[in-house]
Amino acid sequence: MRSTRVNSLASASKLAICVVLTACSALAQNDRGTLTGNVTDQDGSVVSGALVQAKNLNSNAVYKTTSAATGDYRFEALAPGSYEISIPSFGYFAAPQTVVIEPARTAHADVHLTDTSLNTAGEGRSFFAARNGTHPTPKGPAPRTREGKPDLSGVWWPPRIVEPIAPALLPSAAAIVKEWEATNGKGLPSARCLPNGVTMLGVIDLNKLVQTPSLLVVLYQVDPADYRQIFLDAREHPRDLDPSWKGHSVGKWEGDTLVVDTIGFNDKSWITDTLPALFPHTEMLHLVSRFRRPDLGHLEMDVTFEDPGAFAKPWILKTVSDLAQGEEVQEFICNENNQDPEHLIGK
Amino acid sequence: MRSRTRAKTSFLIAGLFLLAAPVFAHHAFNAEFDAGKSLRWVGTVTKVEWMNPHARFYVDVKDADGAVTNWNFEMGSPLQLRRQGWTRDSLKPGDQITVEGYPAKDGAKMASAKKVTFADGRTVFGESPSDAKPTEYKQQ
Repeated sequence: MRSTRVNSLASASKLAICVVLTACSALAQNDRGTLTGNVTDQDGSVVSGALVQAKNLNSNAVYKTTSAATGDYRFEALAPGSYEISIPSFGYFAAPQTVVIEPARTAHADVHLTDTSLNTAGEGRSFFAARNGTHPTPKGPAPRTREGKPDLSGVWWPPRIVEPIAPALLPSAAAIVKEWEATNGKGLPSARCLPNGVTMLGVIDLNKLVQTPSLLVVLYQVDPADYRQIFLDAREHPRDLDPSWKGHSVGKWEGDTLVVDTIGFNDKSWITDTLPALFPHTEMLHLVSRFRRPDLGHLEMDVTFEDPGAFAKPWILKTVSDLAQGEEVQEFICNENNQDPEHLIGK
Repeated sequence: MRSRTRAKTSFLIAGLFLLAAPVFAHHAFNAEFDAGKSLRWVGTVTKVEWMNPHARFYVDVKDADGAVTNWNFEMGSPLQLRRQGWTRDSLKPGDQITVEGYPAKDGAKMASAKKVTFADGRTVFGESPSDAKPTEYKQQ
């Protein structure tokens, strides 16, 4: 009997808790708002699989969802407030728009992609989305070298950005961006088969890392088909470096993290590693890149950008690359038939 | 004073993303081609250049007066096209095709090809989600 009573009390308590929780939940739901919309491209075709991001402008909380086959997207239970809607994936672009979410109401914000540049046959949206999206990777621990260090060797898909970046530009850098904008980016170095980006990994195509105890070599497939050397033999940077496109890189292990220090850049390259955003830099650019291989299938790269000639303070780009199993870097001779430069008129 | 500076910084950051639209892999699209003009050409393939940084094909296009103009169409790189399942033989001289794309801004007989359709309706090098093929990424 006593047992029964206890059970009854317990049941009653549970019921009470449930009622309270349900009420709270209902209250919480009524407190929240919904955001829906449709994603279309420049031709009016619906776009499925586009990553849509809603950022609460008060709390900076970021919510992400993917558009359905109909192009529709939906966010539920958003806290009231102003949100910035954007398409953060490389391969998709829409001018950010702001929408206000109100309690118990559904707001609507259609997204029109303006990624005209990504509709060239062979360079289309799905191609870049696939290349820069996640890929199936093998399971298992990171391989290690005979010396016991993580072995970063392998063919890797291009790095994808893990967290949005927002460097504060100095006025001089902002002026350069304004000029790029005014000329539709016609000066992009890779259009003339010059290097694309400044970080250790190629921006838009496969990277092959070959690690030895004293040297890490990165082979890029495209833009340009080139290489980068990271010296691991405890040497210092040369004292009198001539500025160059790729700078001078030395690395050392801190536990299982390879820390690479790079200086000696010229000011001709564009920071395209942050696509779709682009930034300039000066010869004072200093990169500290931290590489980790947390498991067999992934390579993490965190890069601290420091440039007192371009940025108000250092900022960090966090990326991850998937192992490109079965892939191999191939030939890309950019100057073979580059007809574009004479037609790059800007506006 | 501090808040004014912050507001200005935010504005500059927002401005950067507007630049991103016309820039892609190899060169800036909007610096060369007119994205506001989606055009269609019908003609005969005269040459295919399966070369870097962009594969190209050339098409004789006849206008209403019978005058023939040879147009130069740009695609992605052979590496990119191959990954989508197309080869250097996908398009051959003599093929009758319809091309959709965007013309060069400088008036040259040049365009960025978006989609190529054969007379029998087969599509090659297409990218729009509504295309039958190839829209799916193919793992090699």
